[in-house]
Amino acid sequence: MRVKPEETLRLEEIAYQIRRLSLEMITCGRWGHVGGSFSLAEILACLYFHELEVDPQNPRWEGRDRFVLSKAHASPALYAALALRGFFPVEELYTYCELGGRLEGHTDMTRTPGLECSGGALGQGLSIAVGMALGFRMKEQPYNRVYCVLGDGECNEGQVWEAAMSAAHYHLDNLIAIVDYNKVMAKGFVWEEMGLEPLRAKWRAFGWEVLEVDGHDIEALLRVLYEARHVRVHGAPIAVIAHTVKGKGLRETEFNYKWHTQAPDPEQDDSMLRQLARNYGRPEEGYSKLNDPVAKEKFYGGE
Amino acid sequence: MSEEMREVFGKTLVELGHEFAELVVLDADLHTSSKAVYFKQAFPGRFIQCGIAEQNMFGIAAGLATQGFIPFPCTFAVFASQRALDQIAVSIAYPRLSVKIPGSYVGIPTSRAGASHNAVADLAIMRSLPHMRVADPGDNRELRSLMRAAVLTEGPVYFRITRYTLPDLFGTGYEFAWGRGVRLREGRDVTLIGTGMMTGLCLEAAELLARDGVSAEVLHCGSIKPLDEDLVAESARKTGAVVTAENASVVGGLGSAVAEVLTERAPAVLRRVGVQDRFIESGGIGELLAHHRMRPADIAGRAREALEAKERLP
Repeated sequence: MRVKPEETLRLEEIAYQIRRLSLEMITCGRWGHVGGSFSLAEILACLYFHELEVDPQNPRWEGRDRFVLSKAHASPALYAALALRGFFPVEELYTYCELGGRLEGHTDMTRTPGLECSGGALGQGLSIAVGMALGFRMKEQPYNRVYCVLGDGECNEGQVWEAAMSAAHYHLDNLIAIVDYNKVMAKGFVWEEMGLEPLRAKWRAFGWEVLEVDGHDIEALLRVLYEARHVRVHGAPIAVIAHTVKGKGLRETEFNYKWHTQAPDPEQDDSMLRQLARNYGRPEEGYSKLNDPVAKEKFYGGE
Repeated sequence: MSEEMREVFGKTLVELGHEFAELVVLDADLHTSSKAVYFKQAFPGRFIQCGIAEQNMFGIAAGLATQGFIPFPCTFAVFASQRALDQIAVSIAYPRLSVKIPGSYVGIPTSRAGASHNAVADLAIMRSLPHMRVADPGDNRELRSLMRAAVLTEGPVYFRITRYTLPDLFGTGYEFAWGRGVRLREGRDVTLIGTGMMTGLCLEAAELLARDGVSAEVLHCGSIKPLDEDLVAESARKTGAVVTAENASVVGGLGSAVAEVLTERAPAVLRRVGVQDRFIESGGIGELLAHHRMRPADIAGRAREALEAKERLP
């Protein structure tokens, strides 16, 4: 499979925008997960702008692929991807975590157009994805796929392995699990908190086909997603272990569990966004609400 | 002679399966106990064996519900309400998915299996989940009607199946409805409110009380959430004394639901029959009913206590 250079450039821009908007959202909402959102930016760009069959004009279209964000604390990145894809206005991202809004801290499928399930309690998403994949089979929709993104720390949960066992038992080769292996958990590094290795061997032992990829390399991601959808389809579910960097894109957030859950204040966000722009060779853009008196009043006067 | 309730459950699943093509059944290695096995025999392609992994089973049910199916994930009530509570709460109840959860092996008739297999807190747990509807049917007729209502109701439903043969309480014209209780016997002095298998015992208790000249009203609340608050309040205002009876813990179940109504709308003396904040130990059904003071004579005794307390009120 050949990837056109202009496609790579287009998706790189989307990934940059996902990071930029995630940081804006987390600042504006005063809460959120920077590290786990940033590690997912390229993966979500490739899924929502290349791989997934979805129709933003008709989010409930029967023939769509399904996407489950099991690590639902990365909701800023997902909301950014959905908004950029046209499921709702980009401007609405600034209502992240707002009472009465459509963008909950953790995902709520009854509120947000384009969401396929609700989440937040780690370990639950892969089971839901298994149900969706079984549903495609029962409805005889062989061309559709279910994608499920899991966190690495999330793989500590027993339910993940219950789901893995059942997906292999039912030969769900229409199910693709992507592990965002960013090596950092909420309070420490994976190998300190609860070791996962040998991760590839674990998925293999549970009956899955396993692919590994650099989760920030767009060309490699597109190849792996192509392989998962079209080539390695032989009666086993497919796990893509995506090696990523938590907080990828900024000096202070990269590989740093202190930025697992943390919201910058507007000034800090402004300088982080400028750094992000420089790192990605984009024109410098600061925090869009920095000098917006209403937003400032809300930020400093709120609660 | 009427059938064991789980037999009726299994056969009704098949009937509904013929009628509703989107109905699917999931199991966690208990289908010959729950009687979901009949559905497996009738519709093997719509029966999903999940193995002994209830958390995963409820997640799969959620995923199927998002695909337009109406899943019945079947397991013992204790595993649904305790082992898989977080999955039911976050994956199913929060997004209001149309998953219908039958909880089998509830309360006293689970008998010799002991505390690990015996659900007594399930009513309390399920009642506390937003969007969840909760029912404990009083006889086979009501179970059948309730299962149809569950399929036709949008959103999550939890209902109980007692491993027991219950006497027929309702005539052929009876239909279950959410939030609707039934007055099975008129009375003036005390109100007995039953749910599930305890309603039949309340009727027997009312007979015992009648021998002593006490006029007991008997209500059945198969629908515990929503509860028929109007019926409960109206009867409590009339009699001023209420006894609830449930095959479950008195903490958080029907007794608590009635207490909430009485406190807010119709203050009355209340006594609650059921498992008194304990795990159930192994034993025969009759022995356990006596041990937990849940026989008709016990209900009648609690009614007399309530009457005395009412008379002592200023």
